[in-house]
Amino acid sequence: MNRLHPLSAVTYALQYGFTWLWVPVVLVLVLGGIFDPISPAWTPIAAPLGFLAGAVYGIVYYYRFEYGVTPDTFDVSSGVVARRSREIPYGRIQNVDVKQGVLQRLLGLAIVSIETAGGGNTEASLNFVSESDANRLQEQIRRRTADVKDRRRKRDREAVAADGQESAADAPNGIEGDNAALGDEDGTSLEDGVSEPRRPHRQRLFDLEARELLLYSFTSFRPAAVAAVLFVFFLATDRIIDLFVITAQPLGGPAALGEGTPTSYGILTVVSAINGILITYLLSVAYTFGTYYGFQLGRADDDFVYERGLLQRYSGSIPVEKVQSVTVTENPLQRLIGYAGLWVETAGYGPESSGGSQSAVPLAKQGRVHQFTENLTDVETPTFHSPPTLARRRYLVRYSLVATLVVAAVFALAQVTPLERWYLAAVVFAAVPPAAHLKYVHLGYFVGDDHLVIRRGFWKRRTTVIPYYRIQTVSTRRSIFQRRLGLASLVVDTASSQTFVWATPTVYDVDLEDARDVNTTGRKRLQSALRERARDDDLGLSVDFT
Amino acid sequence: MESLHPRIRLLWIASWAIGAIVLGVVLAAVDRWLTDVPRAAIAGVVAVAFVIGIAYAVRRYQVWTFELQPDALYLERGVVTLVETAVPFVRVQHVDTQFGPIERVLGLSSVVVYTAGTRNADVRIPGLTPARARDLQDTLRELAVESEADDAV
Repeated sequence: MNRLHPLSAVTYALQYGFTWLWVPVVLVLVLGGIFDPISPAWTPIAAPLGFLAGAVYGIVYYYRFEYGVTPDTFDVSSGVVARRSREIPYGRIQNVDVKQGVLQRLLGLAIVSIETAGGGNTEASLNFVSESDANRLQEQIRRRTADVKDRRRKRDREAVAADGQESAADAPNGIEGDNAALGDEDGTSLEDGVSEPRRPHRQRLFDLEARELLLYSFTSFRPAAVAAVLFVFFLATDRIIDLFVITAQPLGGPAALGEGTPTSYGILTVVSAINGILITYLLSVAYTFGTYYGFQLGRADDDFVYERGLLQRYSGSIPVEKVQSVTVTENPLQRLIGYAGLWVETAGYGPESSGGSQSAVPLAKQGRVHQFTENLTDVETPTFHSPPTLARRRYLVRYSLVATLVVAAVFALAQVTPLERWYLAAVVFAAVPPAAHLKYVHLGYFVGDDHLVIRRGFWKRRTTVIPYYRIQTVSTRRSIFQRRLGLASLVVDTASSQTFVWATPTVYDVDLEDARDVNTTGRKRLQSALRERARDDDLGLSVDFT
Repeated sequence: MESLHPRIRLLWIASWAIGAIVLGVVLAAVDRWLTDVPRAAIAGVVAVAFVIGIAYAVRRYQVWTFELQPDALYLERGVVTLVETAVPFVRVQHVDTQFGPIERVLGLSSVVVYTAGTRNADVRIPGLTPARARDLQDTLRELAVESEADDAV
């Protein structure tokens, strides 16, 4: 095991010294305020003590930080009181960065960061090692990673060769996995790939037509519009309220604030609310229109490339091999007019902040979108299973509790304000049965040959197609309520980063046995699909899906 | 199925106790600056929190099990929500052994398994003896290296 550069000890000592300085200071000030024997006057003694402790900690930290290059893994152990020893297999390392600031360059130091897939932060960060060590490390890790990949490729080739011998009669060129696979699927791509390997294969896949753009703008709603409206409202509250009063006047609103009757105030409220909602909606429509104006999706070799935007053009590419899952989204309005959108989720963060989910087809006729999805993922037309009706009962109970809370809140409000007839709020209970039913009917799942399809949500219904080979982990979750009813939820995790906004694909409230079945099936098919993919070198997705 | 080391209960109780003490300090602050909170009430709240902590720790220990299956690391845990998770070895990115200050005093160690997923991206098996943790880390590392998958994530 190796240590960092000795100068790191100095930087760690200073760094921890200055952070720890504040710990006793804050403690003395806070506890001094609560308990009498501790006095805030101790601060001048506490601060240097904190610094000293921090400096010592920093130096010990340096001595306790070790890293090493072993045949299979890169190891890092660190920590003074709490210890962590990490082993990163070379095959999992994505990149090794060497960074140098101005000061570090003067001192001949460098920071080495090692990253693997997934997780936001760097898996191993060595600050600092000497320049020469950094370059040597980078070189060593690169060589060992390449070794691992070679070994694996050789193993795969042997497996393919073994297979080829078995089926030599019907597939004499089975060894050339790539070309054979490509040729089988589609003759043209073989020709293109062989005769002109230099020129990227470019092709237009989907254009958002004017009609679709308008429909998309009017049927989707962006929460950002609410934020924008509220922001403007806070910026110019007085002027906007004046404007509201003026617009409400011809309809019977008060002549000015503070000189109206209860009825005129009521009219003012209603008119202003309608105005507010209308303005927000129009803003949202304009925003969507501007963002998706001139949307085009195309392909360049094995990448999807897209372009969109009215005032500002955005463009980007999505490598097909990075696609983790595909989702069809529809909100109630879009379902009503028979349209849907198609999104692809990728691993890692895109160059723009929108994260790992990209719109492949913002909006198109439902039938087309379903066809696209089937072409893209090669999934069979799903026949969805519903959860048992017991689940609906659960939602009934859940929404009743929410409704009870609403009534209780209104009751509490009635106690402190002159509000009367709070019990009218009980009308929310009328919404409970339809809400529970709607939630229930939109749930569904389908266990396909190569894919798991999960549908959920009423307001934004999402149907996610997950290829088995993209599964990261599978979990069966049962809360105490679900255990009483014998239900379970199945959480299927993939490496797509979009799940911060959209919840992880989950099959909600199915029978425990079904959940366990799907769980086992998913795991089994993950293994067999990975074996198959290693053999065929197959992307698993067809780029020309339109 | 393998259980955790029984001493893990002490760790969970200790961390719960720290929470209870912080709660007591907060209540003392409220008593001092906002409104009068009777001493007995503070003591009662802290005591109740402590008892809940003990019961929770005991139950949690009873539920927590894990197992190395042919293709995956399998865990069962959770008091309120019982979660059964399978982490296929192909999906293991890297493996840590870790121990914090309280674990160190109790002679315990944890193994943390990282995947490239977004939820359950790090799976922690607490309450192992250092030797067992080391052993498990080695096994998982070997299984992970052996089952390299050549797909981009």
